[in-house]
Amino acid sequence: MTGNQASVRAARRQDLPGLVHLRVHYLGETAHLEPRLPIAADARARTEQILPVWLGQEERVLLVAEGPAPEGVPAPLVGYATGVLDVRPPLLLHQRVGEVLECYVEPPWRGRGVGARLLDVLGEALRGRGAEVVRAAVPVRNEVALERFRRRGFRPLQWIMDRRLDAV
Amino acid sequence: MEGVPIRNARRGDIPSLLLLWTAMMRETAARDPRLALHPRAAEVMAAHLAAWIQDPQRLVVVAEEGGRLVVGFAIGALVPGDGWREPRRMGQITDAYVVAPRRRQGIARRLVGRLLDLLYEKGVDSVRVAVAAQSPEAHAFWASMGWTDLECVLDQAAPPA
Ligand SMILES: CC(C)(COP(=O)(O)OP(=O)(O)OC[C@H]1O[C@@H](n2cnc3c(N)ncnc32)[C@H](O)[C@@H]1OP(=O)(O)O)[C@@H](O)C(=O)NCCC(=O)NCCS
Repeated sequence: MTGNQASVRAARRQDLPGLVHLRVHYLGETAHLEPRLPIAADARARTEQILPVWLGQEERVLLVAEGPAPEGVPAPLVGYATGVLDVRPPLLLHQRVGEVLECYVEPPWRGRGVGARLLDVLGEALRGRGAEVVRAAVPVRNEVALERFRRRGFRPLQWIMDRRLDAV
Repeated sequence: MEGVPIRNARRGDIPSLLLLWTAMMRETAARDPRLALHPRAAEVMAAHLAAWIQDPQRLVVVAEEGGRLVVGFAIGALVPGDGWREPRRMGQITDAYVVAPRRRQGIARRLVGRLLDLLYEKGVDSVRVAVAAQSPEAHAFWASMGWTDLECVLDQAAPPA
């Protein structure tokens, strides 16, 4: 770790409590921006259950970003990212798709390249597992995130559109 | 207004469905090579269609002109929401297509309307569709039917330099 930079590495078992906090923050922020992606009331309990499973999944990459800390003090987790290698039936040319599922940086750490680093490392790891292309679905209301993905060379492929039947 | 009849697809429709599906995919890929077909696509899709026509979680409807010519189709599916953020029972429309000479006659509107009725009967409360970013006409169609943008799927062909 250099100076006051964050560094990115694969998540470990001892990161789990910190990761639960980060993920609940991520889900809450998404729900705030996009009410059609609400956070479940039991999101924390379910995140506590699911994260150890994620850690053991062969097809999944789970990364954390650590902030700097003095010698002997555990480094604080300031962000995380996760994605999977999805192998699809041979309908479209690209069958091995690396999916970026979540990427989050705590607000005080934004604007310092931590998210870009998480995305780059995640993309590399997914390609290392054979992904021919890397994809991410970003809520349209999260304009900041959309712009960040564009800057990392991501280009719009599809719109996911939604219609509520109870609204008609 | 009377229009081309809409009905559930049958096994005998598979050859027509496959032709229309391939035409739809080629039309999409011509605009965006990232959505190009796999060389085995037709064979794989034929097997999918045969299974979907019998699957209660899938809905395949066709528009048939003159009692014999299939001029459009639409496919929907029931998907379990992830229980986190998505509704518990969600519907998805995976395909909708009308042959070019029969467009703007309300056929897709009726195909999709039929799928929505069927999905609603099955207790779905939200229906999603993925629309190619390079197909503004398709986007205009879904918007005219009440769909709104939720997410943008972006892709990165090569790592950043
Ligand atoms: C998209 C598609 C299915 C629409 O089929 P269609 O039978 O022509 O659609 P409809 O006649 O039912 O149109 C209903 C409404 O949608 C909108 N719409 C449809 N096509 C449109 C177009 N090309 N431009 C703008 N609006 C359009 C209009 O509001 C239209 O109502 P109007 O004709 O009274 O103005 C057809 O153009 C198609 O097969 N395209 C290629 C395949 C494709 O992109 N499918 C979608 C994949 S998700």
